[in-house]
Amino acid sequence: MLKPPALGFGLGLRVDHYEAILADRPAVDWFEVLTENYLVPGGKPLHYLMRMRERYPLAMHGVSMSIGSSAPLDRGYLEQVKQLARRVEPAWISDHLCWTGVAGRNTHDLLPLPYTEEALEHVAERVRAVQDILGRRILLENVSSYVAFRDSSLTEWEFLRGVAERADCLILLDVNNIYVSAVNHEFDPRDYLDAIPAGRVQQIHLAGHENHGDYLIDTHDHPVPDPVWELYAAAVARFGAVSTMIERDAHIPPLAELCAELDEARALAARTLASAAGAVPGPRSTAAASGPRRSAAAPS
Amino acid sequence: MSALARVQGDFQDHLLRGGAAVEAHVLGTARVPVATRLGVYAGAYRSRLAEALENSYPALAKLLGEADFHALAAEYVRTHDSPYFSIRYYGDELPELLAEHSEYAAAPVLAELARWEWTMTDVFDAADATALTHAELSRVSPEQWAGLRFTWHPSLRRLALSWNAPQIWQGLTADAERPQASLNAAPVEWLLWRQELTTYFRSLGATEAAALDAARNGWPFGELCELLCWKLGEADAPAHAARLLRDWVGSGLITSAA
Repeated sequence: MLKPPALGFGLGLRVDHYEAILADRPAVDWFEVLTENYLVPGGKPLHYLMRMRERYPLAMHGVSMSIGSSAPLDRGYLEQVKQLARRVEPAWISDHLCWTGVAGRNTHDLLPLPYTEEALEHVAERVRAVQDILGRRILLENVSSYVAFRDSSLTEWEFLRGVAERADCLILLDVNNIYVSAVNHEFDPRDYLDAIPAGRVQQIHLAGHENHGDYLIDTHDHPVPDPVWELYAAAVARFGAVSTMIERDAHIPPLAELCAELDEARALAARTLASAAGAVPGPRSTAAASGPRRSAAAPS
Repeated sequence: MSALARVQGDFQDHLLRGGAAVEAHVLGTARVPVATRLGVYAGAYRSRLAEALENSYPALAKLLGEADFHALAAEYVRTHDSPYFSIRYYGDELPELLAEHSEYAAAPVLAELARWEWTMTDVFDAADATALTHAELSRVSPEQWAGLRFTWHPSLRRLALSWNAPQIWQGLTADAERPQASLNAAPVEWLLWRQELTTYFRSLGATEAAALDAARNGWPFGELCELLCWKLGEADAPAHAARLLRDWVGSGLITSAA
């Protein structure tokens, strides 16, 4: 099955920017919308969503699929997502490789999975079911995590790759989340990138995080920091021109500031692709090799 | 129970109830011990839900101030799990908690302010519908009028409030001077609705409230007129009925008449 075409460089659509986007028509190639914000009966949210859709391609990004939960799939939720997708005609639909609750509860958090064969098979089967319901392939995003499970017998990247291949789904690679988890679990983020099948990476997320010294928290409330830019360059070198967007969920700056940050992503991707086109295969670039191992080990 | 279900049950029990069984499933490092790692999730759970409450009840949060609202949110999060797929719907029982909890029940205006804010949010994203126009209504033939029933805009809400919660809400929302809490002589009937994308509200007199509620319960126009006759006398009722209907249509409250 073919992947949807790449959309270029996008931003997460946030309420604070509605009016500025409509007034200024910024040079953003596409917007990612938070699915649940628009799963409401009507009013302003849906009004603005459809006005944005008239002007830009949109991708739908959800947080409630709970694809890794041991509780049954929420078919009512999926039906609502499907109906919204009928209106919005998104370029694609994504959610997270995580679970959000069991026993009828929602923690509203993206909780980590144990990387076991049991969980892998369980998730892959559910992704296939979701794709049948939605009538399209979905993208799954790697989440940041703070705990590892005793039961895990696979690495996170083996698990993500396994789910994508068994379920035949696509991947939304959050480069910041890889970096955050690499620091928190002391692995080399380049090993992660190297294990991901390039043909399945449909989208990349860029974001910032909060440094707590010994560990990082994925807060999405800071500009993209240098180590994440470096890892992004490595991702572009490996995966090519993948649709990329900057995700900011709190401390949301003016639109122009995010557009400027997005221009940095464009320029970095262009430089990386140009140098890859002209370069002979060789060792990893100096910039990309400065992974988080050093910062992880540095005492604060 | 599968291994996955056991891990998830214990993990969730830790977030919701502080259960310790999850500790057997997770690994820490010398640098970051298990307690710190689990603490990230437990802290995020509580602060995310508290933030959702603050988003849904901004005026209440302002009235109580940061520390008191934080304490209220913590109590709500402790006693209310979310069954909702969307965090937008978390917090629906805050008015009940305020009305029943010993710490807040002494200030009943708080529960009413919370009811008001939750209702405003409901109006904000209620379903869209095209309002009936005066021109469409004028095409109803005279013999149809007595049996005419109305369909109402999905955003329409009614509240009866004993306190001046809407006035306090207005003061808080506009950053203007806010009135002291005061008990109304009798409960005041409120109507809230949305016209296109704008939310409106106004208080209702007893007669209009009774007529509107009857009409929303499916009473045909002829019976509404009888109700008004009984309340206002035969001389005033027809003009009053016509005026109410004109106002309701003009405000976009009615979506169809048949």
